[in-house]
Amino acid sequence: MKPANIEDFPLGGARFQCAAPAGPSSQPPGSAVLRGLRKYSKILRVSLIERMTYRGDFFLSTILRFLPMVTTILLWQAIYEGAEGSDKQPVRLSGYDLHAMIAYLLLVHISRMFSSMPGLAAGITRDIREGTLKKYLLQPIDMIAYLVSYRAAHKVAYIVTSSLPYALLFFLCRGYFDHFPSGETLALYLLSLLLGFLVGFFFEASIGMVGFWFLEVTSFLYIVNTVNFFISGQMFPLDLLPPFWAALLRALPFRYLAYFPAAVFLGRITGSDLLYGLLAEAAWVLFFIMLSRWLYRLGLRRYSAYGG
Amino acid sequence: MTAMLRYLRLYFALARYGLAREMTFRWNFLIKLFVEVLWLFILLAFYETVFTKTSNVAGWTKSEYMFFVGCYFALGGFIEAFFLSNCSEFADLIRTGDLDFFLLKPIDEQFLVSCREIDWSSAANVLMGAGVMGLAYRQMALPFTWGRFAVFVLLFGCGIAIAYSLLLFLTSTGVWFKRNQSLYELWWLFTSLMRYPREIFAGRWAYPLGWFFTYLVPVLLVVNLPARTMVKLFDEPVLIGFTVAVSVVLLAASRMFFRYALRRYRSASS
Repeated sequence: MKPANIEDFPLGGARFQCAAPAGPSSQPPGSAVLRGLRKYSKILRVSLIERMTYRGDFFLSTILRFLPMVTTILLWQAIYEGAEGSDKQPVRLSGYDLHAMIAYLLLVHISRMFSSMPGLAAGITRDIREGTLKKYLLQPIDMIAYLVSYRAAHKVAYIVTSSLPYALLFFLCRGYFDHFPSGETLALYLLSLLLGFLVGFFFEASIGMVGFWFLEVTSFLYIVNTVNFFISGQMFPLDLLPPFWAALLRALPFRYLAYFPAAVFLGRITGSDLLYGLLAEAAWVLFFIMLSRWLYRLGLRRYSAYGG
Repeated sequence: MTAMLRYLRLYFALARYGLAREMTFRWNFLIKLFVEVLWLFILLAFYETVFTKTSNVAGWTKSEYMFFVGCYFALGGFIEAFFLSNCSEFADLIRTGDLDFFLLKPIDEQFLVSCREIDWSSAANVLMGAGVMGLAYRQMALPFTWGRFAVFVLLFGCGIAIAYSLLLFLTSTGVWFKRNQSLYELWWLFTSLMRYPREIFAGRWAYPLGWFFTYLVPVLLVVNLPARTMVKLFDEPVLIGFTVAVSVVLLAASRMFFRYALRRYRSASS
């Protein structure tokens, strides 16, 4: 059995994922840019309020999520004890000592907090299949921009509500963090997380657009998410893999969804590697933005707005 | 005896109906199957990588550990195939009030709620897990004895009984928690306790935790006992006896709890 929530999380189900955009309101004065900004910030606000409705349920499932964390820590302790053998000399596996490894596995949760997009692709495909996509075409609103603001709101709400239990978790596990990163590293870490959000969003949006050609992409998405769980480095740092596989996975965009930010935080990626890594991350963001736009445009030509 | 036969016939009919329905969506079925295979490969790749770095984990050698993984995969697959999807629908049945139709039928409610359908694509996990166990066992070159195998089968059955009972407890709480929609997720979080050898629960705070999940909420016995009996020495006869006893007690207790929960059910919207 694979993780039931392999694509993430206690966001409370996919029911709200693609709620219809708010109807056109009275036109506020100001330039077009300002109007656009106001429009999308309204969406942000509405979605934020919607999320907070289920805070109790939300809080409970966040707490439950810590159970696997406990067993993971215990498993890695046992792995390191096994590797130490009888001489009890602390070992490093591919450069990670036990503390760094556990810190990594904790930090992966933070990466996923930003980069996972539960229900995004499925929501887009559903809109295509059921014809509800036309709500975006009829109103002065861009679908992708709408979905970005909607998703950003959910992420903000999620991060805010779960910051308390996560703060507790990181406080309890503070012993595993040997050095706290410098301000500069921390800033770059934050940047890598934000770019990770964008990589995750536009990657999944691109998959959703495939729905213009195939009515059902959820099974395809299921496969992608299963593979992603491994190749994004959620099970262990990619450095542990044999050199060929590690190099291959470093060249793919998936590492930005989990591995890269965590490794930056731990100071595993520094100097020019860090710089090029961030540049490559930005390039992947651009690539997926263009890909999703292009697929959307191409797809709209085929779109026939089923069902009245 | 005739009642037993009747339920067997009923179950057979339900299984055949389910299979026919699954075959209507062949591609969907094949993709689900493919994802299960993929997931098994990811698990194996994970432990292959781990065992390039160490020769044992919590006292389990690579082959022994792979046997454990196979056992977990098979047992987890069994629960998922035969009970999990049924149980996860229970919350919906309560919310919509459709449970009424179940209660009216002249069939045992627990049978109908927890054994109605079979998720055939997960049933394949039992075979895949058995395959992994077989391969790992061959690598160990242990002398095979039927006696040991019989104890393994018995404990595997007990593991299923314990896991099923705990799942039924969890399901029954749906009567009170109306928004218990993600039983799949709850179950996944909960089973993280049975995914690893019991020996990892060592140390100041983990030991009491391991004790709690062995004797009070015996989820740690589920995969550990059968796997351990097959690939390690029979060094814990008391624990084996305890496992057999506890599986019987839990089956009865979970049934009582389920029936208690049903009595608290107030048919909605009808």
